[in-house]
Amino acid sequence: MRATARQRQTQPLQIVRLSMARRGRLLRRLWHDAPLSSIGALGVIGFLLLALIGPYLTPYNPTANSLSERNQPPSLAHPFGTDNFGRDILSRIIYGGRNIFALTGSATLIAVGLGLVIGLYVGYLGGWLDQIVMRLADALLALPSLLLTLVLLGALGNSRFTVLVAIVILYVPIVTRVVRSVVLDVKTKAYIEAAEIGGESRFHILFREIMPAVLPTLAVEGALRFSYAIFLVASLGFLGLGVARPEPDWGLMVSEARDWYALSPHILFFPSAAIVVLVVCVNLMADGLRRLLEYSEAD
Amino acid sequence: MRSTAAYVLQYWFFYLKGGRAHTPLHEQFLRQIAMCSSSRKISRRRFLSLSAAAAAGALLYKTSPTFAQASDRSAQGLRPQTARTGVIRVGWEAVKRLDPAFASSDSEIAFLTAVYDYLVDVTTTDAVSPRLAESWRVSEDGRQYTFKLVPNAKFHDGKPLTAEDVLYSFNRLRDPAVGSPKISLFDNLEQISAPDDLTVVFTLKTTEPDFIYSITDNSAVIVRAGATNFETEFIGTGPFKVERYIPEDRTLFVANEDYWQSGLPYAAGMEHRYLDSNAAIEALRGGELDVVLRMPNARFVALQNDPNLQTVTFPTSGHDALRLRMDMPPGNDPRVRKALKMATNREEINAFAQLGLGSPGRDAPIGAYFADYFDPDSPLPPYDPDGARALLAEAGYPDLTFDLFVPNTGTRPDFAVVIKDQWAKAGITVNINLVDEATYYGDDGWLEVQLGITGWGARPSPQQYLDFSLKSDGKWNESRIADPELDALIVKAGTSVDRAERIAAYKAIQRKLAEDGPLIIPYFFPTVGAARKEWQFEGGFTVQAFPGRTTFTRARQA
Repeated sequence: MRATARQRQTQPLQIVRLSMARRGRLLRRLWHDAPLSSIGALGVIGFLLLALIGPYLTPYNPTANSLSERNQPPSLAHPFGTDNFGRDILSRIIYGGRNIFALTGSATLIAVGLGLVIGLYVGYLGGWLDQIVMRLADALLALPSLLLTLVLLGALGNSRFTVLVAIVILYVPIVTRVVRSVVLDVKTKAYIEAAEIGGESRFHILFREIMPAVLPTLAVEGALRFSYAIFLVASLGFLGLGVARPEPDWGLMVSEARDWYALSPHILFFPSAAIVVLVVCVNLMADGLRRLLEYSEAD
Repeated sequence: MRSTAAYVLQYWFFYLKGGRAHTPLHEQFLRQIAMCSSSRKISRRRFLSLSAAAAAGALLYKTSPTFAQASDRSAQGLRPQTARTGVIRVGWEAVKRLDPAFASSDSEIAFLTAVYDYLVDVTTTDAVSPRLAESWRVSEDGRQYTFKLVPNAKFHDGKPLTAEDVLYSFNRLRDPAVGSPKISLFDNLEQISAPDDLTVVFTLKTTEPDFIYSITDNSAVIVRAGATNFETEFIGTGPFKVERYIPEDRTLFVANEDYWQSGLPYAAGMEHRYLDSNAAIEALRGGELDVVLRMPNARFVALQNDPNLQTVTFPTSGHDALRLRMDMPPGNDPRVRKALKMATNREEINAFAQLGLGSPGRDAPIGAYFADYFDPDSPLPPYDPDGARALLAEAGYPDLTFDLFVPNTGTRPDFAVVIKDQWAKAGITVNINLVDEATYYGDDGWLEVQLGITGWGARPSPQQYLDFSLKSDGKWNESRIADPELDALIVKAGTSVDRAERIAAYKAIQRKLAEDGPLIIPYFFPTVGAARKEWQFEGGFTVQAFPGRTTFTRARQA
């Protein structure tokens, strides 16, 4: 009884240990059920690859001006055209994507990690600690995200690091709450009781017994946080925060292109499209992730 | 009040039936609301000064033009006709201060320009032209300015204009108790007197050939003697009367039927709509506005191709100055200043930031706009990034890095982006710090930063730029330049009554600044404007260097 219960709870983690054949079967099923999710996942991987190796592919410096090449429409030499400073828009999007992945990726990872640890502890221990931490989280959740970020940027200075701190502060309470809700459910299970009676250490119970049950939900939540973080960073860039001109930043590019939409709409279109496509892809990927975990659980 | 309620009901039914906003009916509704409330106020005031019959007549007359415009399709034949037709709709940013002593933005000055008159006006080329003063004379010693007022000017409440009103208006600007920021304009003024009702004499402490420009200052409108409630009562002698001011939304003006320049204005009314620049441009393209005078260059260039619009642009004296502090390293080394000049390609900056609409600068605040004062051959070091790199190495600064502070408005950020790229070719690293304009100028921070880009608005004479920012004791000497020779030249240019001597002094100043100044001024801003072709402007569509000073008295609906 104890073994089967634990078995079921830990199964999702084992998706990485599944045989190639089973993994393939799950992916084929996902493709069949929700082709869009698969495309979203592929899109994210595509963006990631572009961010990693793209800079070595583009022949243009993303910040070099060229008076003779201003406002060129898309062409073979410049697939996305050039902007009002004669800079190659594709190169700027690639470099900008790199910054977005570095910033939002690391911020999301830190937020998810912190939220996981805090959620596990307060969920499992409960009591006054739980009350204090969750009321603090409530207070943080009540603040509008953009407002809090603006305040932080004002207090700590206008830099990427501040944006990272802001994202972490914003997302830790959300992740904590999600993790805690799963923990509250799991800790009543018999196998946890068994582990407690068996004299396992608290660390062992939290990270070996409970955490595996939390991970599926956490993976989906993490992906969602990632997409919100991209959106937040783009919004801040649009407001000219967290980045300095002439750095390529998608939000800043959109903001800079506003005056040009009547003359050269492509300057506005491509960075806007990049933001939309990436955010949609990440959301679709999150959905696919959720489905995959459901399949493997049901298997 | 009853008719307001009726209109509210009518509009509500119209709305329920699926009517859209911003249709003629909606416009009429807003006008009606505005009229109902303002006509009550005016009739009460008129009741005190005029006979009841005259008041009724005036009211009828007053309301007719707006009606004619709002319902010209349906009821034109039934309304009394006047020679004045059409309401010209101008887009501006919202106004905040309407007290002449404090008004500063284009939209605020545009409001003053409509309601009040200046003693002397500036033309689009910044020559001066008579307005309320029909003529003036400068005494032999250059210290006395005598103005003759027009005899037939009347305030909107019927009181004739006298010298007393002019005295009150200028004394108000000079009064420390009022606290106008314009107080320093009249530092050199010894006294103002009025020998008779239509004569005003300004006596100066020392000669000041540009004093006439202080008389034309944006704030120097003539108000009614004793007036204090400038934010709520708008009684001037100007071509338009305020019918209704709706804060943050619009101001409705009607033509002043008793305007002293008979026949003006040609339009029956004017409307200032308060919108942000993007909304104003879309409204202009869609035919909801007739004129927009301020917009980003890129938007203006796009409007130039619009077949429904007429556009105008010309360079002014306004400019962005990149300035380096001279009282600390590395700016205290003349080789560094020269190297920075050599590393800068001004034509390229002008092309990027002003799209070629501006006029080229030569590192001095005196441009082609000042015609005779401008020296097109001042000895600027030629563009040579490699030479600049070598010169910097020689001066002991091979890897120069600057934090460049830039207010985040207008074309300054574009200027910064281009200079970063250009200076990189000479081995200079620039980190751009874009800051909010309020932050940049707040707490005098802009005077402290080592390298910054400061915007200077258009002024009718170059003297203010020099007095404020390039004299060693200047109030805004942001570069901390302290050159006795330059100081002497600035004083000479500002006080000499001999024109040839002034021209020589201005050219000498430009030569000094081109060779070894702390400033890089790559361009002078253009002023721009776009209007719908339904409106014809006598003498052509023009915009003042300070767009808010543009008058619409000679605009006629085609």
